[in-house]
Amino acid sequence: MALRPVVVTGLGIICAIGRDPAEFWQRLMAGTGGLTPVLDESFAVFEARHAGQVPDEWIDGGLPDSDAGLDRTARLALIAARQAIEQAGLAGADPDRFGIILGKCQATPDAAGRYQPMHRTEDVVADRLGMRGPRILVSTACAAGGNAVGLAKDKILTGEADVVLAGGVDPLLFGTYAGFAGLKALSTGPCRPYSHSDGLNLGEGAAFLLLEPLDRALARGATPLAEVAGYGLSADAYHATAPDPTGRGGASAVRRALADAGLTTDDVGYVSGHGTGTPANDAMEAKVMRVVFGERAGRVPTSSIKSFVGHTLGAAGAVEAVASVLALRHGTAPPTIGFAEDAVPGDLDFVPNVARELPIDTVVSNNYAFGGNNVSLVLTTPRAAREYDELPAAAAVITGLGPVTGLGTGIGEVAEAIVTGRQAAGRPPSLDGRTFAPRSLWRHMNHLSRMAIAASRLAWEDAGLQLPRKELDDVGLVFATGAGSAESTGGFDESIAANPNKPAVLSFSNVVLNATGGAVCQTLGLRGPTTTICNGGASASIALDCALEMIRVGKADVVLVVAADETVATTAVDAVVSPYDRRHSGTVPGSAAVAFVVESAEHCARRGGRPYARVMGTGHASGGNPTTTDPTTTGQAVGGDLVARVLARLPGARPELVVGAGTGVPDDAEEAAVVLAALPGAVLTTSAGLTGDCQAATGAMNIAMAALAIRDCIAPALTGLVEPHAGDPASYVTKPDLPDPIGQALVLTAAPGSVRGAVLLGAAS
Amino acid sequence: MATVLANLHPEGTVYGEVGDSSVPLRFSESADEYRVLRERAAVLDLGGNRLIEITGPAAVDFAQRLLARDVEYLTSERCMMSLVLDESGQVVDQVLAFGRENGILLESSCGAGTRLLEHLEEHNDEGVVITDRSADLTVLALEGPYAWGVVGRLIDGELASLPFESVVETEWNGTEIIFARTGFTGEYGYQMIVPVEAAAELWCQALEHAGAAGQEALELAMLEVRQPIPRHEATAGASVIEIGANWLVDVTKDEFVGRDAVLAAFESGQGRRTVGFTGGDAIPEAGARVLAGGQDIGEVVHAVRSAGLGATLGLARVDAELAAAGLEFTVDGVEVTTLTSPYIVPKSWSIPII
Repeated sequence: MALRPVVVTGLGIICAIGRDPAEFWQRLMAGTGGLTPVLDESFAVFEARHAGQVPDEWIDGGLPDSDAGLDRTARLALIAARQAIEQAGLAGADPDRFGIILGKCQATPDAAGRYQPMHRTEDVVADRLGMRGPRILVSTACAAGGNAVGLAKDKILTGEADVVLAGGVDPLLFGTYAGFAGLKALSTGPCRPYSHSDGLNLGEGAAFLLLEPLDRALARGATPLAEVAGYGLSADAYHATAPDPTGRGGASAVRRALADAGLTTDDVGYVSGHGTGTPANDAMEAKVMRVVFGERAGRVPTSSIKSFVGHTLGAAGAVEAVASVLALRHGTAPPTIGFAEDAVPGDLDFVPNVARELPIDTVVSNNYAFGGNNVSLVLTTPRAAREYDELPAAAAVITGLGPVTGLGTGIGEVAEAIVTGRQAAGRPPSLDGRTFAPRSLWRHMNHLSRMAIAASRLAWEDAGLQLPRKELDDVGLVFATGAGSAESTGGFDESIAANPNKPAVLSFSNVVLNATGGAVCQTLGLRGPTTTICNGGASASIALDCALEMIRVGKADVVLVVAADETVATTAVDAVVSPYDRRHSGTVPGSAAVAFVVESAEHCARRGGRPYARVMGTGHASGGNPTTTDPTTTGQAVGGDLVARVLARLPGARPELVVGAGTGVPDDAEEAAVVLAALPGAVLTTSAGLTGDCQAATGAMNIAMAALAIRDCIAPALTGLVEPHAGDPASYVTKPDLPDPIGQALVLTAAPGSVRGAVLLGAAS
Repeated sequence: MATVLANLHPEGTVYGEVGDSSVPLRFSESADEYRVLRERAAVLDLGGNRLIEITGPAAVDFAQRLLARDVEYLTSERCMMSLVLDESGQVVDQVLAFGRENGILLESSCGAGTRLLEHLEEHNDEGVVITDRSADLTVLALEGPYAWGVVGRLIDGELASLPFESVVETEWNGTEIIFARTGFTGEYGYQMIVPVEAAAELWCQALEHAGAAGQEALELAMLEVRQPIPRHEATAGASVIEIGANWLVDVTKDEFVGRDAVLAAFESGQGRRTVGFTGGDAIPEAGARVLAGGQDIGEVVHAVRSAGLGATLGLARVDAELAAAGLEFTVDGVEVTTLTSPYIVPKSWSIPII
């Protein structure tokens, strides 16, 4: 099967060695690195001082005055994003079919220094550059930038977008610096990957690649720079921060990427390595090279441009993808600089210190991350336009539910709570008395990971899955979270505030958003494709999309989607939330994890599984003004328009039940009005009245509740609803037992000011 | 019961009865075999370790109840060492437990299989299937600072750097084997569980890259890093705490056979504790009295001549407050000094796998 070729037509970059692709490439060719002592005096507390910093004047000089008030992360991203669009000569793209996939590792501060939602940076870029198509924030730590490029290709293959801007961004943050210093992972001088390997340097920057279908690019007269031939994701399922020393995880990412591209190891001319310069990484990467390329390993040059720019975390994969495209264009491999002249000559070719001309038609770019997430991209010289097959539609079903909420643990307890009308808004789940992982691991886990692992295991058991080890190697995992572990982030920040040289390193390893997904993979032994989605309350439906894409392209038969978020706010016991009711407006934050198993219908039938529901369709719409929206108080940016647009993505939907995104915020009113007007035969409900607003987990809970309604004819009731914003109480679910079987149920998810999602489920048979 | 490989071992191999098994104590000179283990790579015939498979729907529940450590989520890619205790907290055996897709596989300590099997069968309230696999499977091991290199030459270099207690099913020479990173001596250690019909070929091929070492060299190297040897250390009446094997018990588990006795021993704080000692040239017998300032404070558990120390090395079980390093005691009229473990520094600790 030859799928539609996807190409890169524009590049943008700003990092320590350049403020555009030309300058960046010139420095790579000259071997002139950009790792210098940090200027910020507050960093003087650390013994290691070198980093890859972007000069302020490069940022100021690269932006219009209208962007001056934005935070550094958004400013870096906008510079690179505009370059990519400009190089591609893109004008007049349909905003609804113009998407953005951004990789980011850190939660970055706004202009005033406060944390902002993970997806805010991409909302700002999308808003300023006119993108209302697919919008995904991927946060697989240091693999995020490469992962974003792969997901962007998927969005073109599914037909959801004509053009996608894919990349990554991260600034240099004091806390992260302290964390790496605490892990003893920083080199005291400029890092020297693959030779001295005495630690890494952090860096900052942004990089974007503009992706579009080859045929469209040629039709509009654009120049394809490279084809995104394939990508591969994998999970080590080994450790929170250390790579699997055997290199199995890294090797399987490369193999999957090559298989996706329809290429073999013999086709590869150059490997852009992760090359952080830490001993664990560099040793593992050498193993990956030997394992993947066998006897040819020494003849495949591999180099690390982190020796020039440092480790730009979420941007790194995109920065290296830009370098890889340029390497293809120029037929030259950038060197690994700082390579020790006296290094013992090994069996591998790290392109020491001097750039090398060589014929390159295929580049593999690898990234490895905390949480054991690995990504490999395969980029090739563009070929001529050619015939292609449409992405096959694969029937997928939901076969297992694992809610871990204040209502109960496991679908049995939760179903009972729903039937008896129990309410637990803001009440945290109780996991007392049960461990869901080996005690040696469980003891050291934060609450978010415990909830997510419990949810995952319960969903797995509910699905009745018993897979041999070999099949577990291909089971996918998509983790969805708005903000990750509040406990670990808070604990880490406190430790840094107390003493930057004594960071809470265990918490630090859990600050990365994908840490919990990695812990699930490690505990359940899942090594298939894995990624982490951070789009607030819309994360779970986007994660479901990723799972469906994995199944459609044949990368997995079984994918576990797990969503988890937590609040550190304490809630009055038995707080009442009444979504869609004009009298009880107000939301209660909660903590929960909800997992569900997505399986190809064929796989489920073959093993005799009993599905809850079939996934009939999904759709997302994005937009709104992120800079004026506080998600907790205002509804203006979401608007009925976004609800209407997302419903329009599923034109054939005739649901009897809508599980809406209502959480008790003013946005509920417009959602209810639009839904009831557009779907007059449906009754509306939501789970947030029972659990509180658990962000990503509420989205997943709504999907689980729709699946449960289809199979077992029960749904969460809005028992307190008296004066709805829209319609009358008869338009809502007010009793848990549904009078008639549900043929279709629609689920809505929302990240206010950013993305809305819709998932249509139908009866399985 | 002789090991599967017995007919391959050279003439002159000295066998010894260890529990229910007859195992090779040494193939030639123990001192040479010890040196091979500590300096290069040794291959070991662990045919005296019984393999017992537990299957059936309640296999994990049963194993979780019978083993003192937490094996509830032991996947098929992990193994772990655990004690098996009786109701009074006495050690029945020290096992290596391998997670399996259809249950769990236990490897007994040397010569203890019969006792372990009886104990498991007596406690089989769950109705699990307990199968002695020793007729069709046997265990070979590699130990030594360069054992990882032997793994590369013999099977697959990728497996050498597996993390400790990781397990993979792999193919060797067309035969499915279970390969585990383990280690009893502080050196790089691996085990291969192989069908008996393939064992001879694997043994012979291993001998091309490693030297054979017998039970004497193995047990000495184990003692030097304080790896428990139950047949010497689990003396009648001694509690887990007295033996010093607390790490092979997990009292955070809600329930396991012997848990109450272990908790009682923890809480009472009574009894003796075990400590290593060195001194003199004579090897005291087990049970020899240990004196401090002329007072009888305990007894020798087990002692040997340590090649690594070039002196006597033993374990003494003494009054708890005196079980500390750096004290001078008298054993059989000879001055000895107590030690912290490990008593030697394994070479593997300074040799990376490449």
